[in-house]
Amino acid sequence: MDKLLLLAMNGLIWGLIIALIALGLAIIFGLLDIINLAHGDFFMVGTVLAWATLQSTGNFWLAFIVAPLIGFILGALIQRSIIQPIHNVAALSIVATFGLSLILQESVRMTFGPTPRRILPPIQGTFPIFGIDYEIYRLFAAAVAIAALVGFFLFLHKTKLGTWMRAVRHDRDTAVAMGIPAQRVYVLTFAIGFALAAVGGVVAAPITTVEFRGGVDILPFCFMAVIIGGLGNLPGTAAAAVLLAFMEGVIQSFADPTVARIASLVLMSAVLLLRPQGLFKGLTR
Amino acid sequence: MTPAVAIERGVMVAFAAFLIAVPWLIPAVTSSFWVSVIAEILIWSLFAASVNLLFGYVGLLSFGQALYFGFGMYGVAIGIENLGLSFWPAFGLGIVASMAMALVTGIFAVRLTWHYFAIITVVFSLIFYFLALTNKWLTGGDDGINFALPPTFSFGGMRWSFTDATFQYFFILATVAVCFWLTHRLIGSPLGKAFLAIRDNDVRASLIGLNVYLLRLIAFVLAGFLAGVAGALFAFFGRYASASYMFYHVSGEAVVWAIVGGAGTLLGPIVGTSVFIIVREIVSTHWEHHALIVGVVAILVVIFAPKGIVGLWREWLLRLTEREPAAAVETKLRTEP
Repeated sequence: MDKLLLLAMNGLIWGLIIALIALGLAIIFGLLDIINLAHGDFFMVGTVLAWATLQSTGNFWLAFIVAPLIGFILGALIQRSIIQPIHNVAALSIVATFGLSLILQESVRMTFGPTPRRILPPIQGTFPIFGIDYEIYRLFAAAVAIAALVGFFLFLHKTKLGTWMRAVRHDRDTAVAMGIPAQRVYVLTFAIGFALAAVGGVVAAPITTVEFRGGVDILPFCFMAVIIGGLGNLPGTAAAAVLLAFMEGVIQSFADPTVARIASLVLMSAVLLLRPQGLFKGLTR
Repeated sequence: MTPAVAIERGVMVAFAAFLIAVPWLIPAVTSSFWVSVIAEILIWSLFAASVNLLFGYVGLLSFGQALYFGFGMYGVAIGIENLGLSFWPAFGLGIVASMAMALVTGIFAVRLTWHYFAIITVVFSLIFYFLALTNKWLTGGDDGINFALPPTFSFGGMRWSFTDATFQYFFILATVAVCFWLTHRLIGSPLGKAFLAIRDNDVRASLIGLNVYLLRLIAFVLAGFLAGVAGALFAFFGRYASASYMFYHVSGEAVVWAIVGGAGTLLGPIVGTSVFIIVREIVSTHWEHHALIVGVVAILVVIFAPKGIVGLWREWLLRLTEREPAAAVETKLRTEP
């Protein structure tokens, strides 16, 4: 019973982190119509930046400023130099982002090295919750993820830039006719997508291992969240990420992790075939 | 025949002659190591051709062709190692297994199009990848199955098998060439024209009475055939099968090869696959981080040659051959009063 609770909690918190990364993928997917195969590596870059910040300054918390900032700049540069020249053609974007994924992984392998490393949680100790002693850092990670999610939705709905992003996604031509600089909105979207994944990476760095292949497993999971939540349905994406990770956590308490992954993939195929508009269509709007 | 077509035929004949001469030419020029690299390129370009058949001719971007490649590999490996089959029945088992798998998954997958199709194909391939990882008793998981290769032909005392490198090369070349020839005939046939109609506009195709669902399913099974043959050949070539070849990275590489080479052209997959594998083989001996160059090449090609290398070459060829007649017309017009 304790094991079930522990794994379910782990799943829930991992789901909140995945939700952050998947949201970045969802806005890039929804707004630029790009299947971003490098998104898992954006997360990986975040974990590596967390490690590098800790190594050079000795202060883990600085990474929460450094990683999203570098992620934002890299994202903007990548959009301008690679994504924009191919005019958001989906088939080409797959090739381009696949190449980008190789470049990011190899650059990290060259500089950071091929060996996986671990970061000690900056907050040590456990906390009694629901009758089990739970790591405090994981609770903190959940709080950060929730705060970032709330912040992102506030940005999307309460600020001018967020409104622009929603307008361009809804109807690009009308948005351009109203004077919204669509090109700049694309750059901004890609940059925010990278920054969100990088924040996810920093939060997750003390929980997982830091290595250049860290994004390979994350990518299919994020796509699952985006599809099960429904393309373009951002709250649905976040909810699906939490649901999937929670489900995998529960299944892991009595079966192999691979079985858990197969279960979520089967769930995803069922959703794609029966409700391609997503699991939550009609609930959120 | 326009000059452009004539030049292209000439290039193809030269290319075919080169491929036939490889077992003698290459060891004379460099080392015989490159003969096996070229054999590997042939196998992988057949795999890229299965992506190209779906994407370039029917307009369906599959990201899960590795599943059928893997079934071709495991059909051969399990057939030889567990069932004790000889060469040809094992080859047949690999192809039938991948086509059957393509039929079963295709029934569901071709109901969807575009992003959804790309994602459901990768999901199906991931499901079977994880199943292959967990069922080690059958598949050997990541370590895979190694097997001893039975002879291909034996008449009385005469035996030909893959242990002879030249025989192995020509067997692979002949099989791949037959598959490309079949694809070429398919594209020229009424069935192929129906595929092109669906690629260009599926609504119009259905309005002129084509059964879009059924045609897509047929294309999906045929693509499964190409991937299955490639997988079976690769199992014979490497004498083993492994679950790692069913991972989505393998499918992704084939998509990149096909698009970089030129989607919707017969030889695009060969060109794309050759470029990437040759770069990899040359660079990886000198520099550990060859994947960096692969990534840069992929990005440069989609930015500067969105129709792929073959598309770029055709544009260039057309401009070169048509400049002269166009210039002649222009001067003639000018001289007239």
